[in-house]
Amino acid sequence: MIRNVFKLLVQRWDFFAKLLVEHLEISFLAIAIAIVFGSIVGILISEYQKSAKWTLGVINFVYTIPSISMLGFLIPFSGVGNATAVIALTIYALLPMVRSVHTGLTNVDPAIVEAAKGMGSTRSQILFKVKIPLAMPVIMSGIRNMVTMTIALAGIASFIGAGGLGVAIYRGITTNNAAMTIAGSLLTAALALIADFLLGIVEKRMQKHSKKAKHQNKIAGITALVLIVSLIAGLAAVHGTNRKTINIATKPMTEQYILGEMMDILIEQDTDLKVNLTQGVGGGTSNIEPAMESGEFDLYPEYTGTAWNMVLKNTDVYTEDQFGEMQSAYEDMGMTWTCMYGFENTYGLVVRKDIADQYNIRTYSDLAQYAPELTFGAEYDFFEREDGYDSLCETYGLNFGNTMDLDIGLKYQALAEKQIDVMVVFTTDGQLADADAVVLTDDKDFFPSYLCGNVIRSEVLEEYPQLQDVFDKLAGQIQNEDMVKMNYEAEVEGKEPRDVAAEFLQEKGLTQ
Amino acid sequence: MSEKIIEFRHVKKTYGSNTVIEDLNFSVEKGDFVTVIGSSGCGKTTTLKMINALIQPTDGDIFVEGTNIRDRDPVQLRRSIGYAIQGSVLFPHMTVEQNIAYVPNLLNKKDKKRTGEAVDKWMKIVGLDPSMKERYPSELSGGQQQRVGIARALAASPEILLMDEPFGAVDEITRSSLQDEIRRIHAETNITVLFVTHDIQEALKLATKVLIMDHGEIQQYDTPDRVLQHPANEFVEKLVRRERHTCLLAEDRIGGCEFSRAASGMKPAAGKTE
Repeated sequence: MIRNVFKLLVQRWDFFAKLLVEHLEISFLAIAIAIVFGSIVGILISEYQKSAKWTLGVINFVYTIPSISMLGFLIPFSGVGNATAVIALTIYALLPMVRSVHTGLTNVDPAIVEAAKGMGSTRSQILFKVKIPLAMPVIMSGIRNMVTMTIALAGIASFIGAGGLGVAIYRGITTNNAAMTIAGSLLTAALALIADFLLGIVEKRMQKHSKKAKHQNKIAGITALVLIVSLIAGLAAVHGTNRKTINIATKPMTEQYILGEMMDILIEQDTDLKVNLTQGVGGGTSNIEPAMESGEFDLYPEYTGTAWNMVLKNTDVYTEDQFGEMQSAYEDMGMTWTCMYGFENTYGLVVRKDIADQYNIRTYSDLAQYAPELTFGAEYDFFEREDGYDSLCETYGLNFGNTMDLDIGLKYQALAEKQIDVMVVFTTDGQLADADAVVLTDDKDFFPSYLCGNVIRSEVLEEYPQLQDVFDKLAGQIQNEDMVKMNYEAEVEGKEPRDVAAEFLQEKGLTQ
Repeated sequence: MSEKIIEFRHVKKTYGSNTVIEDLNFSVEKGDFVTVIGSSGCGKTTTLKMINALIQPTDGDIFVEGTNIRDRDPVQLRRSIGYAIQGSVLFPHMTVEQNIAYVPNLLNKKDKKRTGEAVDKWMKIVGLDPSMKERYPSELSGGQQQRVGIARALAASPEILLMDEPFGAVDEITRSSLQDEIRRIHAETNITVLFVTHDIQEALKLATKVLIMDHGEIQQYDTPDRVLQHPANEFVEKLVRRERHTCLLAEDRIGGCEFSRAASGMKPAAGKTE
């Protein structure tokens, strides 16, 4: 495993280096803002003690909000992406900052403060010449803690579509790639440790008193400042040159990573547009959809059934007959369904191949007759859902001999070991590719239809009609077997989503 | 002939219902070395801090160099008055040089040359070797720290120097030499000094006038000799009893010390009544 991690790090260093830089940018920006604002607030509440109690109370309260909820709260205001990540990180970084400044300043020996006052210092002279220098050790240790914490916490930024090493961690988790997760975590930890180590050196140097040390400190400080300023300025410049860019989001699912890469490859190949791909936005539809409305994202792969229930908030079961109705509802929101890939990712029932062949079972209805002799397996929640097990059995008159609760990761193993005979799957599960199983036909349309297509903002499509050519090219090209195979390659064989996407496009002759 | 440099007129200080000073009236003449003595909580430190406006009187007026301090900017007032307090309250993050230059830097930040000269001058006067400039307070002995504290208080050449038990935290031998030092500095500069202490020996040794306080009231305000010879009341008598019986004759004449200092002083007085 450790070898795999290192191999991955070496092979995909460009990818990790980009994430590392993004991670640094997001963290440093949050740290810098927190230092400035935290110091100001800390100083103010130390100078005006009456406000200290409630200010610290409020900050403490905010600090106890779990980071995931914090990001959720912020998305309606600042959307998804780096801005929200920086805001959330800054909010968390404020508490240790304010507190250490406050503690440092209020713990300065009152006799020294009185001496300074008695000699005719003004309030600000006392603050800047005496209190702050004396509080510096406490403030510095607060900064050290805060920096380590912020760098570690920045890992969650990818959850809302920001960059950073969290992208690797999150991608590793969703595509079943442990080496990727570990590599991302290791780099995050290393970054935090290095930052802590460097600050430790700064802290030590600041305690050195000799004239020479002070001179060196000045030079080092100015150098660091110039570096940071130019880094930020450089970033602003890079981000400023946003030429015609299509912002694509994907949900945290292996197949969406692959679809995202396909779009990226094809659009950049066939048009003069640039693609900014935000993979695996946490929360999926519930976070991407609002960002589409606000214009942060232009395009994302979606499933018809999900859109029908979650976005349009219909409660009935979606069938493809209703596509026209859905399309017009979307057009009212300024979005269009386009580029239906051809595959669907819905619930499905599979039967082990030997049984299917023995009894000639091909549809759900065929099952009814043999159900009492068979064992049914599904994840826990399928038995709990209203549209789950009971409802399914009622619709098809099924009466299984036995049922088994199974973890999603163990289902296929249980089927192979003949512990279960029938089970619920997602129709694009990568593991279906090498499972000895037959996918049955839902002849009474029990499960909603979840055809996969793209949702695009209508004005983007109007502005860049050349996109339509790309969509036409890819529409209907991916069947369920194709998606299963690609998911299998990514999840089981450990291939990169981009490589899987590129190979598929190559096979189909869609790339030059 | 001599001008009043500090004057208290009906000064009252209360903290809530607790009256620290009822009605304080006294004045200090230019060039005086006044030691203020009394037991803890008698209001002596309060009196001192009211002069540089660290504490505001509840009632009454204080005049410094002829101006009511209520009409002066407290920051400017404090800069014109030297202030040295008990213990090591040097700024620990500053060198000896930066500590001494603190007030001059507040006053004239630009004039580095003048500040440098002031630092050199006052280090020499308080008996600190110039090699100590770059040291930090933590690298100094207790006595050296006190010398830096005095130099810092005097660096801007104030007319008035307030000292609040400045030698409280040093050993007996060091204290004695610091006392000699401050007396010499006073003689050389003709600065007006107000010096709070709880040590009667120190009070009598240094002062040109002793201000004895108890419960926020002046018990006696007079020269050391007069205090010793004519204690104004029982409180003062008790305070100076031991000193009245201490012989302070020079080393070569110590054998001839038949009577106490107080007794020898009283002889002519006794003669006059005959």
